Amino acid sequence: MALIHPVQSVVGFNGGEIVYVVVKNMIVMYRVLYGDYQMVGQWVDEHIDTVSPLSKKPAKKSKNNAGNAVEKTSAKGGPVIPSNIRAVTVFDSGKKLAACTDSDKAVVIFEVDLNGVENCLKLVKRQPFPKRPNAITIDEDGKTLLMADKFGDVYSMSIDSEVTDAINEESSPILGHVSMLTDIKFVKGTNDKKYLITADRDEHIKISHYPESYVVSKWLFGHKEFVCNVSIPAWKPKWLASAGGDDSVLLWNWMKGVKIGEFNYKELITPYLSDLHLAAARFQNANNDSIEYAVAKIVALPHIPYLAFFVEATNLLVILKVSQDGELSQAQTIELPFNVIALCEDENKLLVALDNRSSNNRDFVELISFDENTQKFAIESTESRSINSAISFSLVDNHVAITEVDSIYPLYNTISLKKHGEHFS
Amino acid sequence: RAHSNPFSDHQLEYPESPDAMDWAELYPAYVDGATGKMTQEVTIADIGCGFGGLMVDLSPEFPKDLILGMEIRVQVTNYVEDRIIALRNNNLGSTEHNYQNINVLRANAMKFLPNFFKRGQLSKMFFCFPDPHFKQRKHKARIITNTLLSEYAYVLREGGTVYTITDVEDLHHWMVKHLTEHPLFERLDGEWEAQDKCVSIMRNATEEGKKVERKRGDKFVACFKRLPSPQLS
Repeated sequence: MALIHPVQSVVGFNGGEIVYVVVKNMIVMYRVLYGDYQMVGQWVDEHIDTVSPLSKKPAKKSKNNAGNAVEKTSAKGGPVIPSNIRAVTVFDSGKKLAACTDSDKAVVIFEVDLNGVENCLKLVKRQPFPKRPNAITIDEDGKTLLMADKFGDVYSMSIDSEVTDAINEESSPILGHVSMLTDIKFVKGTNDKKYLITADRDEHIKISHYPESYVVSKWLFGHKEFVCNVSIPAWKPKWLASAGGDDSVLLWNWMKGVKIGEFNYKELITPYLSDLHLAAARFQNANNDSIEYAVAKIVALPHIPYLAFFVEATNLLVILKVSQDGELSQAQTIELPFNVIALCEDENKLLVALDNRSSNNRDFVELISFDENTQKFAIESTESRSINSAISFSLVDNHVAITEVDSIYPLYNTISLKKHGEHFS
Repeated sequence: RAHSNPFSDHQLEYPESPDAMDWAELYPAYVDGATGKMTQEVTIADIGCGFGGLMVDLSPEFPKDLILGMEIRVQVTNYVEDRIIALRNNNLGSTEHNYQNINVLRANAMKFLPNFFKRGQLSKMFFCFPDPHFKQRKHKARIITNTLLSEYAYVLREGGTVYTITDVEDLHHWMVKHLTEHPLFERLDGEWEAQDKCVSIMRNATEEGKKVERKRGDKFVACFKRLPSPQLS
C-alpha cells in the first residue's frame, strides 16, 4: 500500500466538527457530515520554489527524522523541496482561514464556504512578504492580520484588501526583535487595552501595545532557552503559558509581568527520550551521549483550567492542571501510539497529529476530549477512527500526499532552534 | 577583527533580567558597604563603544553618573577593560577623578539591551560611528532601525537623549530618517547641539572621530529627545 505522508499540522474548529490538516504542501479540510468525517476542501500550494543561481547560497544544514544530517538542495534541477505550510489559523467565526507558505514567503487567506459544492476552501488572497513568515495572529476586528517572520519582524496586513506590492524589502515592520520570531499573539488585556505578544529564539517574550506597537510595555524574563510558543487561556486572558527549550513550562501574569507558575517536566519525560534526542553530530560530546529535547507546543484549553504540551519526538501528551493561583500540577499523561508531531486545542478537545509512517496509513490524527464526569481527558476512539478513515480514504490516491519513507518531510525541527553559542566566539 | 555579526549565536553572557544583573563587579566604588547594594544605577550607555575614548572623556564630566560601554568584539572589549583598569590604577587616591564610574561589557546590545536595563533607566544613549552596513540587504543589521528604536525608547527615560555621529553621510540620513519618523523621538536643533557638552566630546573624543579628523573627513551629528509615551486607549 502506498504510504501517505504524516500530517504535519492539525487545527480543529467547533469542537472537532471541522478539522484542517497539513500534508506536505497541501491543506485538507474535513467535516463531520451524517456522523462521519468527510473531506470537504483541499488546497495545494502549487507555487514552485524558483531559486535564481545568483542568490544560491550554501545549503542549510538540517536533520532528517533519523537525526542524520541532510544537505538541502534548492538549486534548479535539484530535487524539489516540499514547501511547508505553517501557522494555520481559523478566524471570523470559522468563515476564514489563514496560513503561511514557505515557497514564496506568503500569507494565504481562504474563505471557508460550508455550502461549497466541490471545495469549501477558496483562496482569496496570497500576499508575499520579504522574509519567511513563521506565525500569524488576527486583530479582534477580524480585518487585520499580524505576521511574525523568521527575520524577527512583524508586519501588519489588511485581510480584505487587494494584494499589494508595497510589502517588500523596503517596507517597515510594525515591531521587531533581532532574533527569529517563533510566535505572535494578539490579546486584549483586562484593562481593555490591546497588545501584541511576540516570542523569539533568544529567551524573549515581548509585550507591545497595539496598534501603538512602537511602545513596548514589558518583557517577560525567565526563559533560559528559546521560546517555541505561547498560549493565552480564554478563561484568564491576563495569564500566558510559554515553553520551548527549557526543562520547565512557565505560566505568567503577563499584565503584571510576573511568573506565577512553573512545571519541570525533566523527570517525567526522561523515560520517553530516545536516539532521536541525541544532539546533532557537530554539537555532540566526546561520549556521544549528549541529549537535547524541547517542548514543541504548549496549548491552554479555552474553557477549563488545563494546559497540554508535548516534548518533540516523544509519544507522551502531558496535561497540567492550573490552580486558581496559577500553580501548575500534573493532571494526566496520555501515551499516543506514535510520536506526536502537532497539537492544537479546540473547545474542550485536543487534537494531535502523529508520526504514523509505520502504521499502514492509520492513526494520522487523534481526538482527545475532556469528560466532565471523570474530569479526565481520553482519546475519542470512534471519532478518531472516523477522521483517520477519512484522511486515509481521501488521500490514498492523492499524488501530493503519497510519499516514500525516506522522503518524509523533516518532522522534528523544534530542537534546531536551540542555540549553540559555545561553538561561536 | 573589524566586524561581528549581530545575528549569530555568540557565546555571550547576559543577565536573565535587569534585576539579576550584578553591577557591583563593574563599579565596586559604588557599592554601599553596609547593605552591599549599588548606590547608583547606570544612566549613560555607549552602544558599540569601540576603544572607549568617549567614555574616558565623559567620565570626569559626569562624575555622578555610571557610564557603561557595550561592545560586541571580544578583543576590543578586552582592550577597553585593560584601559579602564590602568586609568583607575593611575589615578588611585586622586581627589580629582579616578574613573570608577565607567566600565565596559561584551554584549550584543541589539539583542539583549532589555536584559541589562529597566524601563526608563537611561538618560543618554550614544551611537558613535556605528558600522554602516552599506548593502541594502544588510540594513537590518544597522544599529538604528525603526523596530530597535522602540526598544531604545523603552530603556531611555522620557526627556532622555539619543546621540548619533557618523562620517558616512548615507548612514547619517538613514539614522535621521528613522529617528525622525519614530513617534517617540524628536530631533534636537543645532542650537541645542552647540551648547551640549556631550556633542563636542563625541565629536572629538572617540578614536573613530580622531581618525576622521586626521583624514579631514566630515562628521555628521544628530541628537534626539525621547518624547513622552502617548496616552494609550
